[in-house]
This record gives sequence, structure tokens and C-alpha cells, in this order.
Amino acid sequence: MNAFRFSTVPLDTASLQREMRDVTCGGFAAFEGWVRNHNEGLAVTRLEYEAFVELAEKEGARIVQEAIARFGVTRAGCVHRVGSLALSDVAVWVGVSAAHRDEAFRACRYIIDEVKHRVPIWKKEHYENGDSGWVNCERCAAPAAHEVEYSAPAAHEVEDAAPATRHREYSMAAAYLHEHPHEHEQGHQHHPAASPDYSRQIALREVGADGQARLRAASVLVVGAGGLGVPVLQYLAGAGVGRLGIVDADRLEPSNLHRQTWYALADCGREKSTLAAQRVRALNPEVRVEAHALRLDASNADRLAAGHDLILDCSDNFTTKFLLNDLALRTRKPVLFASVYQYEGQLQVVRGDDATACLRCVWPEATRDGLVGNCAEAGVLGPVPGVFGSLQALEALKLLLGLPGLDPGEMLIFDLVSLNTQRLRARRTPDCDAHRRAGRSAATASPIELEVQFGSLAEAQAAGFTFVDVRDSRERADDPLPSPALNLPMSKLLTDAATLDTGGRYLLICATGKRSAAAADLLRSQGFRECHSLRGGLKGLKASA
Amino acid sequence: MPAQTIRVQYYALLREQAGRSDETLTTGARDARELYAELSQRYPFTLPAEMLRVAINAEFGEWSQPLKAGDAVVFIPPVAGG
Repeated sequence: MNAFRFSTVPLDTASLQREMRDVTCGGFAAFEGWVRNHNEGLAVTRLEYEAFVELAEKEGARIVQEAIARFGVTRAGCVHRVGSLALSDVAVWVGVSAAHRDEAFRACRYIIDEVKHRVPIWKKEHYENGDSGWVNCERCAAPAAHEVEYSAPAAHEVEDAAPATRHREYSMAAAYLHEHPHEHEQGHQHHPAASPDYSRQIALREVGADGQARLRAASVLVVGAGGLGVPVLQYLAGAGVGRLGIVDADRLEPSNLHRQTWYALADCGREKSTLAAQRVRALNPEVRVEAHALRLDASNADRLAAGHDLILDCSDNFTTKFLLNDLALRTRKPVLFASVYQYEGQLQVVRGDDATACLRCVWPEATRDGLVGNCAEAGVLGPVPGVFGSLQALEALKLLLGLPGLDPGEMLIFDLVSLNTQRLRARRTPDCDAHRRAGRSAATASPIELEVQFGSLAEAQAAGFTFVDVRDSRERADDPLPSPALNLPMSKLLTDAATLDTGGRYLLICATGKRSAAAADLLRSQGFRECHSLRGGLKGLKASA
Repeated sequence: MPAQTIRVQYYALLREQAGRSDETLTTGARDARELYAELSQRYPFTLPAEMLRVAINAEFGEWSQPLKAGDAVVFIPPVAGG
């Protein structure tokens, strides 16, 4: 077979596999890319592929030859479909045979990654709602994963395990290529970096390898992907914050672009959350990013915040800001607020504890949207949200790194006309409504008490606890818990703690209450503030029953 | 109450309506509420005091807080742009 070719008809993978047969080979690895029924939240009904065939075939053949030379495999080939494809059709097939499996896997992975990255192929998606769009030139997109992932065991994870990180970012490159159609004729001279390099910030004494690890372990929810959200996301993704959630219900409008300069005019009409997520992935594929194309409200706030350590309010309305303020008080997750107006803005951090000021302590009256003007009504100069979003990102990184910054409750006001700054101290107001409400909901259990006693698990459940069983698998099998619980055996406590939510209320359970108390104590030291231990354990429950 | 000299700063909508970001003025106002009422005579302020916060010498304060010569008074409306 030709090392790389296009096919206008469905692929016969059995016959392709036969082409790879060789008596000197003990291993064969294949990869198939299939047409998926969804992309970026839209239901996809079919696809069309188009290629710049002359260039693509040359480039594809070069990739296959590189793989053969690089990994010493015996045979290798790749076939890519063009034309109209239905769901589940095979869009691309890669096959490699080699003396041993290891090089077969590695060469297979190399070929698919490079093809996606380098070969000029355009994809038009047809959606269930009748729309369609050219979304996907998979060339010049993310850095090729194989440079950093040679040790990865399975070739499939590119498509399967991590579709969010490896599939969607390409549409940005598509938009770019649409704007620069001549560039694909010039080959690709640039050599994308294999992995992000944080050396310039690790060089800071206050960051170092430990700080970088903290950033990588951190998870930040960014509410709003507009004028504030853009610089926030750029810097947090650039810094290597491990996980980012993006909430924005809006679609990009041309009037956004003077201040939201990460986006392109060609992106107008698309969901900002999706666009921002693509940009994050293109900037730093190591970041796990989730896009939520919806408006934060009372019914979804807790779900959206779950698993995040820090929340950044980059919204443009008071309703969202006060919802996030309540969330901070309820979950004790810090929220960094920023708001801009024309040439100035305000920055405030709410820690969510009972001792320091919240947004309501500062603004006790019912502040209504529409009264004081937002960017649309009052106007804003583009760099103003840029400055405040950058300050917000800065404060967020400092907070994650444990560096000094704005004090809780303190408000920074920065007038960018006069360039005057003010730091105004706010106190916790004794009659703050938001604090009072949060206090009531937290009253069912003291957050300080490590060990709590209950007569039954149902009672504990009613108090709002999520159960965590810290016993080992044999104990669990011998004496199963009658209620749903997370299993986090002591041996895996620290490695698997990341599955817990730092703001969650957990009741740790073991046989006698000894191990669970130690575990709760340990988890608290890791930032899981609402970890409690069931006093007396299951034995105690049985005794009291 | 003798007149005293006070520095006033305006932000956001108030800055627009006052047409300036700060001024030093001599006033007979005894507290922040009286000062805002006095300024409301001079400028077309549309926001009632209840919607604003006042900070005196870099600390959010009460409207009833007495003013003294040399105080730096800041009137701040809430803003929500993003």
C-alpha cells in the first residue's frame, strides 16, 4: 500500500490489516478514528472531510516513513477518509506491524498524532439542529502528544479517554487557517513545543517546584469568559493551573472584541465558554478544562463549584456576584471578585469564613442590575477589564501559592484615568444577612469538631454528610455499609484524596472510629476542611442501636 | 459646626455625574450623610446614599460617622461590569 492515502469510500479495515501481515512481525497495532455523534455540545449527524490532497499525501507519507525509521517497525500505513461520512464510520485508520508490540504501539501513536497535527484536512460538521460548520483542520493545532507521552501505554486514549483535551482545540486552528488559507501551501516550518515550560516562574523563589506542583493540583472555576475572564484564563492556563472550569452562557458578539482580544471576529456567534476552552487547550494542553455554556444560578451553583478550590467572579452582573458570595459563605471556598466600570474597577476577595467581610457586608442594600451600568450601558475602554482580569489572575496565583495579597474583605479600587489606587478595609458587618443565612445552614454540624456522634447513618445523612468508607476492601465485603459511600481505604487516602471536593462535607467511617479520626485529621491538613470522623465507628452505631 | 476642609473622591457613576474624580472642599457637614446631601445639591447625583458606600480614611465607614478636618472621604457605588 501507499504509506498514506485518502479514500472516498468506506474503509475495509480487514483488508487493510492484511496489508500489514509479515512473517517477521510478532505485533500489530491499529488505531481507528470514528465519527462521533457530538462535538462541543452539539449533536452531530454527519461529517464531510476535505483535504488538500497533493500536499496531504506527501506529508502523510513523510510521517509514516518517519515512524518506520524512528521506531524500527516493519510495515506502517495510514488511510484517511474524504467525502461524506455517517456516524461511527471510520474516518482514519493507522496500522503498524513490528517484531515486537512496543514499537508497534509507539509508531501507531506517533502516526495518528502527527497526521492530526500536520496533515491539512478540513472537517465540516452537520448538526442535528440543521446547522453546519467547518470546524476542524487538525493541522497546526496542539503540540504533538507523542513528544511527551511516549510512555503512555495505550494508543486509544487520544480519542477515547481524553477527547476533551485532544479533539476540540483544532477548530481554532481551522478558524486560523480559514483566515490564512495560503499558509498551508508553505508546509509547516514551525516546530511546536513538546510540553509547556514553566521554568520562568519556577525560577521565582516563591514558586519553585513545590509551587508549580500546587498550581498543577489546583482547580479554579472561572465564572464569565468575557473581558475579565479572558486574561484570567490566559494567565491561569499559562501558569499550569491543573483544572479550569469555565461558565458563560453568552455567545461571542462583535462588540466584545475590543476588550476580549483572545477571540477572533470569525468566532462571533459561537459560545464563549467553548471558544475559551479551545484557547486554553491550545495554550496549554496539560490543563483539564471544562466548558459550561450556561448561566450560573441558585440551582446549579453548587454543582458547578464542586471540585474547585477557588472561584473567580468575572461576571458582569450583581445577581451572579451575590450568588457567588453566598456560595463562598456556604462552602468556605474563596471567591475573588472583580468588576469594572468605564475606566476603573474594584477587586475584592471573600474568604467565606465567619470572621471576615463578604460582598453583602460591603453592599447590604439590594443592589440591582441596571442601576449603575455595565460595559454595554456605560461603556468601557478595552484594557480596563484587561488590567483587572490580570490583577485577578495575579491574586488567584498568589492565593494558590500562599503569597500575601489582598486581605479578606479588603477592596482595591483602581482608577485608570488618574492611576490612583485605594485599598479600603471592610469589616464583617454584625447584621450581615448573607453571613446569617450561611451560619444557619452550617449550624447542623460544627466544622471545628473532628469527631461527631450519630445514632444512625440516616441521621448523619440528614445532616448533609457524604460518607467516606476508609476500611479496606475485605472489611467492606464482610460488613457492607447500608448507605452509599465513597470508598477511600487508608492505604490510598492521600493518593485518592484528589477525588474529594475541598468544600464537601464528609463523614469518614471505619470499624471503630480510630482510623477514620486519623484520616479526617490528615485530610483536613490537606485542605479538606469539612472532614469529620464518625465517633465509635460502625461498632459504636451498632451498640447504640 | 465650623467649616472644615475635607478631601473627597468620586468613583464610577458618581465621578461621571460630578465631572471630576476628586476635590478638596470646605464643608459644614458633620457626617458623611450630610456631606453627600450637600454634594447632591451641587451635582446631579442619581444614586441614593443607601446604594453607595462611603469610606473614610481608607476604611469603609458608616454614614453617621462624624467628619473631622483632613479626612479623606470616598464615595463608591457598586459596579458590575466584566
